[in-house]
Amino acid sequence: MNAKELSFDEIKVGDNASFYRVFMEDEVMKFAELSGDMNPLHTDISYAEGTQFKQRLVHGMLLGSLCSRFVGMCIPGKRCLYLSQNLSFKNPVFIGDEIEVVGTVIFKSEATKILTINIVMKKGKDVVVLGEAKVQVI
Amino acid sequence: MGENKYMKTFNQIVEELFGVKEENIKDELSSKDIPNWDSMNYLLFIAELEKEFSMSFSMDEVMNAQTLGDLRVLVEKNKK
Repeated sequence: MNAKELSFDEIKVGDNASFYRVFMEDEVMKFAELSGDMNPLHTDISYAEGTQFKQRLVHGMLLGSLCSRFVGMCIPGKRCLYLSQNLSFKNPVFIGDEIEVVGTVIFKSEATKILTINIVMKKGKDVVVLGEAKVQVI
Repeated sequence: MGENKYMKTFNQIVEELFGVKEENIKDELSSKDIPNWDSMNYLLFIAELEKEFSMSFSMDEVMNAQTLGDLRVLVEKNKK
């Protein structure tokens, strides 16, 4: 998979891209180890079964990492300098769920070469994560 | 000021990006007075002003502004 290499001038407000991703158990466990977030809601089946969710959740920040993939690989891709990101988690994502990630350029600042990108993640029709990224095109 | 009630105000953006409480915001404040006013945060601040007020600044305008007052004037000028 190669990163796109879009220049600031090539990108227009309204431009968008999307991809799908499924996180499997080994990836959630690897993220738990990498991040140090070993919370049993993500790592312990029997604990998760006893909660309202009945199964283990994918870490919110593992889903958030898909925003990094979006800006680093899709829009703008190679020329991206990631400046800021906000995220809100709207619905739970379970191991094995297929997530669609859609990013749309909503604003371009000519003076600073900064793009504002709205990122929506969906599981079927349900929104699971909303985010806004700010990136500079270098 | 005629700002849409759903839009952020200039002072709200100053508070959000530079971490200055609204009651402490003064037009004469500059990067020397605001610890969070570094070069990257300044660019984010400019981009947020442009987005919230649907305007576009030139690079010269951005580089010449020294204080919050300069930036407030810039916003007002671009509203006209």
